[in-house]
Amino acid sequence: MTFNAFLRAGVACATIALAGAAAAEPLKIALVETLSGPQASTGLLYRTAVQYQIGKINAAGGFNGEKIALVEYDNQGGPVGAADRVKAAIADGAQIILQGSSSAVAGQITEDVRKFNLRNKGKEVLYLNLGAEALELTGAKCHFYHFRFSPNAAIRFKTVALGMKGKGILGTRAYAIDQNYSWGVDVENTVVANAKEIGYEVVDKTLHEVNKIQDFSPYVAKIQAANVDTVFTGNWSNDLLLLMKAASGAGLKARFATAFLDQPGNIGNAGAIAEGHVVSTPFNPEANGDATRVFAEDYKAVTGHYPAYVEPAAVFGLMLFGEALKDVKLDGGKIDTTKIALSIEKATVKTPMGDYSMRSDDHQAQFPMVVQTVSKEAKVKADGTEFGFLPIKSFTGAESIDPVQSTCSMQRPG
Amino acid sequence: MTLKRSLLVLAVVAVLAVLPYLVSESMTNAAIQMLIAALFASAFSLLCGQAGMLSFGHAAYFGLGSFAAVHAMNAFNGEGLLPTPLIPLAGAGIGLLAGIGAGWFSTKRAGVYFAMITLALAELLHALAPHLKDTFGGEAGISSFRMAAWGFDFGSTIQVYYLVLAWVVGSILLLYLLTLTPFGRLTLGLRENTHRLRFLGYNTHALGTAVFTISAMFAGIAGSLQAVNIEAANYVVFDAGISTTVVLNSFIGGVGTFFGPAIGAAVMTFFGHVTSDMTRTWLLYQGLIFVLVMMFLPRGIVGEAAEWLKNRKSRHLAIGPLFFRLAGLVLIAFGAIAAIELAQRFFSSDYKATVSLGNWPPVTFLGREWLPFAATTWIVPLALLGAGVALTLIVNRHTAKAAGEA
Repeated sequence: MTFNAFLRAGVACATIALAGAAAAEPLKIALVETLSGPQASTGLLYRTAVQYQIGKINAAGGFNGEKIALVEYDNQGGPVGAADRVKAAIADGAQIILQGSSSAVAGQITEDVRKFNLRNKGKEVLYLNLGAEALELTGAKCHFYHFRFSPNAAIRFKTVALGMKGKGILGTRAYAIDQNYSWGVDVENTVVANAKEIGYEVVDKTLHEVNKIQDFSPYVAKIQAANVDTVFTGNWSNDLLLLMKAASGAGLKARFATAFLDQPGNIGNAGAIAEGHVVSTPFNPEANGDATRVFAEDYKAVTGHYPAYVEPAAVFGLMLFGEALKDVKLDGGKIDTTKIALSIEKATVKTPMGDYSMRSDDHQAQFPMVVQTVSKEAKVKADGTEFGFLPIKSFTGAESIDPVQSTCSMQRPG
Repeated sequence: MTLKRSLLVLAVVAVLAVLPYLVSESMTNAAIQMLIAALFASAFSLLCGQAGMLSFGHAAYFGLGSFAAVHAMNAFNGEGLLPTPLIPLAGAGIGLLAGIGAGWFSTKRAGVYFAMITLALAELLHALAPHLKDTFGGEAGISSFRMAAWGFDFGSTIQVYYLVLAWVVGSILLLYLLTLTPFGRLTLGLRENTHRLRFLGYNTHALGTAVFTISAMFAGIAGSLQAVNIEAANYVVFDAGISTTVVLNSFIGGVGTFFGPAIGAAVMTFFGHVTSDMTRTWLLYQGLIFVLVMMFLPRGIVGEAAEWLKNRKSRHLAIGPLFFRLAGLVLIAFGAIAAIELAQRFFSSDYKATVSLGNWPPVTFLGREWLPFAATTWIVPLALLGAGVALTLIVNRHTAKAAGEA
């Protein structure tokens, strides 16, 4: 046994030892996330969320009479490291892979899992995608053993537009500015496709370089000239912050409709500039009365902070997974991941936000979304500022979900 | 190559040939990555070490090789002209073509300007790739499937390992044989004195382009082997990080020797494979290793080792000081690792979650509990560090004195 394998076995043994004498086979879950390097911050959020919810499942008795063993692997931020770690995880006996922080890594993992399952009938591995939002993953690359538990471009921008319209702040003239790669293109296509149905006009649109632009004022001048009410943008990180700052500097009146405004640090960095802008996410601590508040407080008690950004979606996804496990009866026998997969398709769970289920056609999860705006009136403040996210409209899963993509043709087992 | 060295190389190849039967599947997989990194570094140092042209954009040729391989795998389905074992030929071809174009441009200048041009060309590709979804696959990348060919199904890690091993050993052998030819000698001339070479009547621009092209071609083979291994290619392969990693790996191994870069790349890849699952701070250790190697072993690990072996006989009691220096190094490493790991644990968000008002719980490290404000927590690592530095300094002074007396 190599040292590395020895170490992992040690971790696994320790987990099992806590559960008492091992009789049945424990379910092994591998979290293959970006845990080091420049992109680690999001990966570490997924880690916290996964530890929280797997901890809950184990506290409730685990699965198949055993505690679930959770082992972490560092994918080193890229597809090559991820391919390596997925192989290592499967070799160490993992039956389920979790990941979420990057669509590039997700694209690699979902294909690796698909190929592994083709080559190893009867030993199938599941990939639970907690947050990679590229439409392709439930489109051309969809397959039976991949499940997406997060929103995607279509869900986010349909709900944000509907929510703003319901509140009367959408207006009729819109602008789409996005990063020029597959995610930004997904967003732009969605925004344009929804225009007629929801009732706005996309006056102009721009695709720009990703994370390279320091000064957005030329783009803002173009937006200003278009005289719009709402600016749809899928931008994240610096591209969102600098865009909002340039807009504020130029006195732009339009409201930003975004996907990732709630990324930790954004509100702290933007401050009053972000006020009034809108984001659509799967969670807000004030969205559903006591249920969401209790969840937020419990999460804070366990992890030290309120659930934010990608964490709630990951936790809710694993709630559905935990619910699905309850319906898989193995009587202490061998673990059958295909049965688990079929059970995930059928399960429905009541999360603090409402009903959560999995669409069996393309394995896109269906769950409530809440449209919210940056405001001083929010009870839970973000990044230690006086601002927080105030819910303005909630949508049920059925209202939020996008139609199944025609590019997805899923081969079902049997 | 002397008889001794040939035997050593043969022994290494023999060990590699039986490796999958000695180690776990996960380690075999690590070995595949090490082999690919070794070939990439060898290709890089033909240009950097032997011809003296430091390229900061070799990810471009590696990445193009990767994409050529996935497109070839998808186009031929493992049949016809390019069955699975011959897929790296596609990478070699595209590396060759790109090398001719890029080499012709960049070798017009030398030194910093050459490095800048290679960097610019690579960044051009890096910026362009995300926009061309059909060619480079967008964010989720392009994937392919290793088809069965020649009686192998290439479904298991072991079969992929032997395929990669054959290509890497063959390629490195070719690169070595190249150094024995007159062309290989001229490459060294390019590094030592380009002006004199030109006075002697050689076309140094054509020569530089040729060296660049060969280097890019073998980088393309390495890239395509990676695509064959992970059955996919993603545009992040053009990231500047890939270009710098090969530079760091080669210098850690030692660009002055033929096998140095390959060994450096293999060692550092293995280091990443092992440490990234053990500690969150493995990138810091990688950086520290590079800085320390550059400061104290400027010829690289292999370069210094070769030098030491060469001069071994002329030194008195060389083994003794070496032993004490190694002991000092081990002490320093233990002290530094303990201090870094403890600090990392105390500053992690996991720890923050467990801290409540005035209550600072201990963290576990090496099976022991350490309190954040206890004196032992910080004295132990610092004492180890201090002892290591002191030991090394004493040995250094001692050997310097002995050398002075001799």
